[in-house]
Formats: sequence, structure tokens, C-alpha cells
Amino acid sequence: MMQAIYDRLKDRFQLGALDVRSRKGLAFVDLRREFLRPVLTELRDVEGFTHLILLTAVDWIEDERFQLTYLLNNRQKNLDLGLRLRLDRNLAIGETIHDLWPTAATYQRELREMFGIAFPGSPRVDEEFILEGWTDMPPYRRDFDTLAYSQQTHADREGRETSDPREFMKQILYPKD
Amino acid sequence: MFSFQPDRSQYPAPGPDGKLEIDLETGQYLKLWQGPNHPGMTGNMSVELTVCGDEVVEGKTHVGYLHRGFEKLMERRSFIQCFPIVCRICVPEPDFNEYCYAAAVENLAGIEVPEYANWMRTLILEMGRFNSYMMAIGGMSGALGLGVVGQWLTYVRDIMLDRFEELTGARIYHMFILPGGVRGHLPEGFKDRMEEVLKTAERYLADVDKVMFSNAVYKRRTKGVGYIDPKLFEPYGVTGPNARAGGVAKDVRKDAPYLVYDQLDFEVPTETASDIWARTNVRRRDIDVSIDLIRQILKKFPKGGEVMAEIPNVLHWKIPRGETYIKGESSRGEYGYYLVTDGSGYPRRVNVRGPSYTHAMALLELLIPGTNISDVAALMVSLHTYPPEIER
Amino acid sequence: MSFKDVLSPFTAWKHVLETPVTIKDPLTREAADRYRGFHKNDIELCIGCSSCEAICQNAAIDMVPVKDPKEGDSGLRPQIDYGRCCWCALCVDICMTGSLTMSNEYIWFDEDPDAFRFIPGVDAKSWDSSEKGYRREGGRRLSGTERVEMREMEPDLRIGNFDEIVAGYDRAEAVLEADRCVECGLCVATCPAHMDIPDYIKTIREGDYEHGLELLYNSNPFSEVCGRVCTHNCETACAARHEGDPIAIRWLKRHITDQVPYDRYVDIVGKPDLAKTGQKIAIIGAGPGGLTAAFDLARMGHAVTVYEEKEKPGGMMRYGIPEYRLPYESLDRDIGVIEAMGVKIKCGVRIGKDISMEKLKADNDAVVLAIGLHLGRSTRVPGSESPDVEKAVELLRRITAGEEVPVPKKVVVIGGGNVAMDIARSMARLQKQRHGEVGITVTALESFDHFLADEEEVVESREEGIEILDSRGPQEVITVKSGKNKGKVKGLRTWRVDSIFDEKGRFNPHYDEGDEMVHDGEMVIEAIGQVSDVSLLGEKLTEALEWNRGRVKIDHDGRTSEPWLWAAGDCVKGPDVINAVADGHRVAQSINQVLVAMREAKA
Repeated sequence: MMQAIYDRLKDRFQLGALDVRSRKGLAFVDLRREFLRPVLTELRDVEGFTHLILLTAVDWIEDERFQLTYLLNNRQKNLDLGLRLRLDRNLAIGETIHDLWPTAATYQRELREMFGIAFPGSPRVDEEFILEGWTDMPPYRRDFDTLAYSQQTHADREGRETSDPREFMKQILYPKD
Repeated sequence: MFSFQPDRSQYPAPGPDGKLEIDLETGQYLKLWQGPNHPGMTGNMSVELTVCGDEVVEGKTHVGYLHRGFEKLMERRSFIQCFPIVCRICVPEPDFNEYCYAAAVENLAGIEVPEYANWMRTLILEMGRFNSYMMAIGGMSGALGLGVVGQWLTYVRDIMLDRFEELTGARIYHMFILPGGVRGHLPEGFKDRMEEVLKTAERYLADVDKVMFSNAVYKRRTKGVGYIDPKLFEPYGVTGPNARAGGVAKDVRKDAPYLVYDQLDFEVPTETASDIWARTNVRRRDIDVSIDLIRQILKKFPKGGEVMAEIPNVLHWKIPRGETYIKGESSRGEYGYYLVTDGSGYPRRVNVRGPSYTHAMALLELLIPGTNISDVAALMVSLHTYPPEIER
Repeated sequence: MSFKDVLSPFTAWKHVLETPVTIKDPLTREAADRYRGFHKNDIELCIGCSSCEAICQNAAIDMVPVKDPKEGDSGLRPQIDYGRCCWCALCVDICMTGSLTMSNEYIWFDEDPDAFRFIPGVDAKSWDSSEKGYRREGGRRLSGTERVEMREMEPDLRIGNFDEIVAGYDRAEAVLEADRCVECGLCVATCPAHMDIPDYIKTIREGDYEHGLELLYNSNPFSEVCGRVCTHNCETACAARHEGDPIAIRWLKRHITDQVPYDRYVDIVGKPDLAKTGQKIAIIGAGPGGLTAAFDLARMGHAVTVYEEKEKPGGMMRYGIPEYRLPYESLDRDIGVIEAMGVKIKCGVRIGKDISMEKLKADNDAVVLAIGLHLGRSTRVPGSESPDVEKAVELLRRITAGEEVPVPKKVVVIGGGNVAMDIARSMARLQKQRHGEVGITVTALESFDHFLADEEEVVESREEGIEILDSRGPQEVITVKSGKNKGKVKGLRTWRVDSIFDEKGRFNPHYDEGDEMVHDGEMVIEAIGQVSDVSLLGEKLTEALEWNRGRVKIDHDGRTSEPWLWAAGDCVKGPDVINAVADGHRVAQSINQVLVAMREAKA
């Protein structure tokens, strides 16, 4: 069923290969940026993918890109379809879809705050969402080091000390070898 | 295109950026913070209300009071180390996090879970749903000043927590569903003790029906209030009882059966009014479904069997590159985990889709204008919001 | 809405006289049997492997010293900080021994927050004896308990030849086996050469065999050899053995050497680019001890010459261990790596005869004695002086050297150690080739409960048709008394052993004379231990050296009482390749220190 939908859209929207490796009823497909809106509209209005499950990002920092994942659901056919869109990590500007799904504005506001991905035109996208008074880099980016942040912000409890079994045994049993 | 904007003709029009310019100096308007510490609040969140008289002109949801960045924390924890923290994303119904996370890991690692574990997982999820509804109905009555129902249902929840305790070893954070299966078998005599709990629950619920659902005041304050146009369901990602109250029988248990739901016999309750009353009533009826499901599950429960599949050594468990989305029907609607792996020993990205994310943000802000201050609490509770799943 | 709806809520009043459901005294409420409460630790069972610390996602566990470390026990024990613990019990699930559990206790008051950081099992708590609380169901599941079986040649295929029996793991098998390791490192202390075991096992999981090989040869130039015949003391210290099979460390080591093409070895092992020191070292004996010392010293820039009496280098690895356990090519590959470091090996040179000790001393800055144990001991029972009574080591040497050895149809072996098994199985192969059938009886002094040979040796010997009798003490080699075969051996007479040691622990076997057996055989082979041939030292040096129970006395570093002479390997320690390797390292280290000091003194 997913294959049939894919076949209908593939050529018109130059879709990438259909990735069905995960579970039954779920597929992912790579999407070119310029086709985001037409594909989403077609999927929603023609193919029955009326439910936007979620919109989120994955930071592939080593490839210098963000992946935006638009996860849609067709309830009648019990199909979940994930559209993957690449964004240049150094020019992280996405296209707002709040007019297609108003709830997308919330996701976009979060992505703006947590990943630093801009969505021009999305309502209240620059308002603080979860973080208030945050001045560091967007914290869900891969290069934000939570451990380092925690070590800078909080002190360790005093008196904590641990030993590695191997090193400890060497120290006691065969320090000279 | 959709244009579901509230009628604001009496109030200042929003600017081109969508922001409402309200001049508090005029004395006509007042800012009122409901929450984060407020008995009518569903946990650690708040709604910033702008009121004119006792009518609410605008409401903005504020979250972030308990943001612990779970999704980010998981990126530096091994696959097994994520297991103890996912439950904390939803306190009243933590088991969905355990199930969705475990199932996502199993999916990407190619692990087949034993039959026994699937039954156990279903049982736990239904017990969790039951308890979550206890809080929801109790909270609903509390939000309207009917305290006794909250007390009764807290007791019922408590005796169900006793069953959780003997089954999983903990009352709140059960940590029983881990990647590969579940941690143990049913204790001796569990079925009988569970039956007692269900019988007690039914007795209390009969009282709740009389005291709450057949209560003139309750009816007056909930019927016709907090209406959600079913046309909004798809644009605003409305799922679960909130959608079922508007006549849409959305339920992942039926739409995309997982675990052993295809072997269980149940109907999804729906209402049509799509108001506070209808939403609460759907939940009330879904409790009966849950009770029935728990009975069915225990009746059909496998006599024995493996609780865990064989999994690799968890201390250096690596999962091949891939991504998946696993969902289930929580008491509030579609709950899901989007897991991305990159071949390392840590998740590349975990995204938790909690139903409150859509219900209590964009939707609530849409519903609030035009309501009476005293109805805001009831409206919020009727959407059944758990803030941690908004923040994750 | 009806009038009924107005009245209906008042039905709540019917509960007004009911007993409250609240728990009257919550402080004494007992939690469920499975409850995850405060931890307990069976301190004697715990081995301090730190798996609990490794899995704790909250970093709530520290490993703290509690007792002295010993084999397979780090002496560390987990201390839990309850300010961080989230009660998930993964530490209980991962525990390698099952020592760590939880009680169902959850109520505890204390004004001192530091009281909530303690060492379960060491800091006494009221719940220490509690029977209730979380235990994992059905054993350890979070890391593998079963060893990946090693494929071996079937007995009927292997008995007629000396081909290697063990097939070695393929990649998939090795990864599965390597996956079971929890990287505690308890094995490192137990390995005489302190090899980087967890690290090289990790390279298997990651497929980085070249790094694995580098780690191996860093600490053991006989990794190919040890990957096959090591006594694997590490496996007896393995954390996994408490609830399951120990990790097959030896086979994993072999797997790494199998995976790297030999022409890459020298590049990977690497020859340090050091200036030549100009200092010379002579090593007597090209066994594992001598060659390891040579390997290290050559890599330190010294000129090393190894003198070997026999035709080929390798010592007991070549002339003692049968080919079906250790093919000569494997040994030659390891020796090839050592030679590539610049070590000169001169075979067929007997010190004391071809070159005197005095000359060696005069020509070199240091000399290492690594002559091994090549003389077999005799039982000295009546008849043992017969020419048909052979010594196991001597016979093994002749088989390796390709010399003709007598192969009678029935042979009796005296001894219960690995050498006894080696000669029995070697002779069995020759019998099969010569006569088409096996006729070997092994008589061991020890009972099977306290057997000296490895379990797998016993199993495989039996598979090959060898009869092994335990608790048999040799009394007489029976010879033909008259006729044309006069003097020929026709069997061994034994008594049953009641005990081997007396109350003071001295060797003093006690027999049941009523239980006598005669084992037929035209040859009796004694395999009851070996001694060193120290005649090469010469009278003067023998006099000058300090001795300890028939062995040259050495200090911790292997140095003898003569400052220019070190001793290493079997001749000063027990018979064991890996111990000899460790000795070689120790001696090389010590010699280098002395030589550096000598250089500095001159400069």
C-alpha cells in the first residue's frame, strides 16, 4: 500500500528511495526542500495523511546538516510516513507549515529554541518556549555538551572517589611489573 | 486553508506578527497567572491569562518548570541506561515511555519479544491507563470543587499501585518493561488480588457516577463548555479521548493494534458533544473498557514462558543505523517514540511524542479566549494534560 | 437535567460512617516482596568487578577498597550514594555474581545526609538479613552466560594424525564471545604477563584486529602460542565464571592472530626506532622465557644473542607440546617476529661444551639463564631402569625431532598432568598410524576430583580411546623374567591411592595394598615431572651461585646472586609458557635498568 502511494508521488516530487527497514506500516523517504509543501499538501489532501504526528530534527553534525523529520499518519490505511528533509546546518532555515497544520507552529517554536532552526513566518516562533533566559547555544545541538555544562553549573558531592579494579589490583599486587 | 481563529472583535486586534497588543494601563485588562502553583493546574505548568472582567481574552501556555532535557540526556546514555529515565517523562502513566522506548530499541536491534512479555506489557499498560484515568476523573471533579471524588479515586488508584508494587517492585516508576522483554512473572495469587481491586473500583465508580456524572452542578458547568470543533482535530493533532468525545473513534489500540490488543475484545467508547462533559464521559467509559481488558488479559494470560528475549551484553550494546517510530494509545491519546540510531552505543536522537504536546499548547491557547476564568481549570483538565511530556 | 440530578450527589453521605481507608501507621507498612528498596551485598560473594558502577546511569556507585585484592577479587566493593540512586536495580540485574540484591526496606530517617551514602554489606544495616526485596528473576540476562562452543576436529578424524584439533573461532563466533566480556579487568592481575585482556577483546568487537595484535605483542611475543596452549589463569579469574562460563580469553587471543595476515605482523608490532646501545646480552635457551627477554632487550636497543642447544628454537613449546595442540608454523611465526626485532638465535650450540660460561660472561654485559626443564624425573620403582621405560619429555622431543621411536601396541603412562596427556595422545596417534588402533592406559596418582591435567585434555584423551585410571600408585614395572624376551617390559603393577599427602602436607602417598592392578603394556612412560639440566654451569659457578631447593636462587627481578647473571622461565619457576613470558619481561626490565646505569656510570 505504501509502495503504491510512493509510486504515485515518486517521479512528480523526485522522492528519494523508500526506506521500509524498520517496522510494518512505517516508511521513511528523503524529500527535496522545494517539494516539501506540495508533497505535504498532496499527502494530506489526496492520500489521506491528515495527521501530523510530529515534526522534529536530528543533528547530523558530522555531515554538517540537520534532518527535519515530518511524521504523518493515514489512519484509515494504518500507515505512518516519515519525510526526511536536509537542512544545511550552517544555514538552518526551515519552511513553516503552520498553515497546513496549525499545531506545527509549536513544533517549529521548539525547534527554533532547541536546535536553532529558524522558521520565518511561523507564529510566535521567537518566543521562549521551554527555556527562559537561556544564553548558551541551542541545547539540543550535538555540540552542546551536557556533561560539561553540568560540571560548570553544579559542584560534585564531596568525598566521592572511585577506583578501577584493574588499576587498583595493579597498584596493590604488582606495582613493579 | 484553515481559519479557526477565536472571535476577538470586542478586543484589540492582533498585530501582523500575531501578537495581541493589550494596554494594561487602561485598567480594562488584567494579567492573571494560573499556575504553576495552582490547585486547578495539571502539574508543573501555567497559563498566562489576560482577562477582561471574568472573561478571558487571551491565554498563553508556559512550560519549562521541570525541563530536564530527557531527550538530550539519552544521547549520552547507553541503550540500557536510557531505560531507567524514560519513565520519568510521565509520572501518572510512566509505562508508555517504557513500552515505546523498549519497542523502538527492539525494532531497530531486530529483537523478537517473547509472547509472555507481550501479555505482561499489555497488562501493565492497561493498569497504567486505569490509574491515569483515576487521576483525570478525580482531577476533573476537583477542578470544579467536587473534592470527594478526587479522594475516592485516589484511594482506588492507591490500591492499584499496590498491585503495581507487588508486580513490578515499585509504585510510581515501575521500570519493569525493558528492552528485550519484562523483568518477571506474575506473582502467586496476583489475579485474585487484582480482581478485588477491580471490584472495589467498580463500587467506587458507581458512587462517582451518582455523585459526579449525575450531578446537576457538574452537568451545568461542563455541558456545552470547552467545545472543540471536530474539524480542528486533524489540524491540531488531537488524539485519544479528546477526539473520541467528538465522534472520531481514534484509538491506536484499534487503528494499529500492538502487543496483544488484536486478541482482546473491546469497543472504543465515543461521544459526540465534544465538550468537557463528553471528554470526561469518554474517559469514564474507557475505565470500564480498561477494567474489562485487565480481566480478559488475566484470563488469557500465558501459564508461563520466557520473560526476556536474548539480548546482547548491555554494557556495549550497539544498534545499527536506522530510525523508527513506535506508538501506542495512552490514556491521553497517541504516545510515541521516534528513535534514531547511528550504529553507536548511544541513541542519536530520541523524540517523545506526548499527546499533551499538541493538546495543551496550540489547542488550549485556541480554546481559552472567551471562556470564563472559573472554567479555565476545567477546560485544561478536560484535555488531560501532563506537562512533562510537553517539555521532555 | 432533572431533579434527580440535584439529589443524586447527596448519596455520598452514605459513606459518612464508614471506616476510613487510610493506612493508620504508614511508617510500619511493609513493602511488597519484590520492592526495590535499599541495597544489600553479599560481601564474600562480591568480586568487586564494578559492573554495577558501569551500568549505573546516575553515577551513584563508587568502587571503594574494602579488603586486599586476590585472584579474581579486586577487593573493591560498591558504595552507593542514595542522593543519586534512582532504584532502577540495573546494578542488581548486571551483577556478575548475584551478590548485589535489594531489600524491601524503604523507610529510614537520618539527619545526616552523608548517612545515605554507604557500602552495602560492609556498613551494617537493619535490612541486611531481610529475605525480601528485589532479586532478578531467572539469573543474569544482561550479559551472556554461555560460551560460544569451539569447533574441534572429530575424534576419529584426528586420532590418526598430528593435525591441529581446534578450529578457531570465525568472526561471528568471536564477536559473540567477545560481547560477553564486561571489561572489569580482574583477569589482568591474574595473567602472569598482565596482558591487556579487556582491551584486546574490545578490538574484536570493534573489528580492529591490527590494534588487537599490537596490544597482544606489547605484552606477549608468544601470542600465537598462548592463543593455543596457554594455561589461561585469566579464565579462572573471569567475572563471568560465577554465573556461567568464563570468557574464552585464550581462543579470542588466537582469533586476533588468525585474523591478521602474517606479513603485517612486524609492521604492527613495530620495532622502536632507538639508537643502538652497543651493549650485549647472551641468553641461554631459546624457550619462551629466553626469547621474551630477547624480544624486549632487542627492542630496547641492545644486541642480543640467544644460544640454543637443540636444532631449532622454541624449547618446550616445540619439543614438549605436541603438534596437534600447537602447530610448528604458529611457533615459527612468533619466533619470526622476535628475530625481526634483531635477535640472533644460534641453534645447535651447547653452552658449557661449545662455549664456556666464562667466555659468555666475558663477552657480554649480561647473561640470562633460561634453560627450562628438560630432564624427566623417574619413579624409581623396581624395574624402572629397564630400557623399555621411557621418560615423557625425552620421548616427546624425539617425536618432534622426527626420530624413530618404538611404538608398541600397548603402552602404560604414569602421571596425571598435562605432560602425561601429551605423551599419551602422541603415542596414541603413532599407534593408530602403525597398528590401526589405540592401546594406552594412563595411571594417575591423583583422583579425578583433584586432577592435575586440564579437564579438556582428559575429555579429549578419552574421546581418542585412551583409558585413564585415577588414584593408582605405581609399585613395579613388571618385566619378563626369563626366555628370549627376558628383561622386556610386560606391564605395570599399581595399588590404589588412599591419600597422597600426610597431615603436614608433605608428599607421602598411602596405598590400599589390597586393591592391586596390573596394567599390560610393552612400554611404560614416566610423566611425573621434570628437572633442569644445570651441568652447563660448571663446578665453579655452581659453587658460587646461591640455590633454593635445587633451583638457582633469584630475586624478584630474576637476578641471581651473581650480578651478571639472570635466570628466567621454567628452570626457576613452574612449567608454564605464560609464566616464562612474564619472567622474560621481568628479567629484561631488570637487565635494562642495570645496563642503563652502567652506561650512565661510564659517561
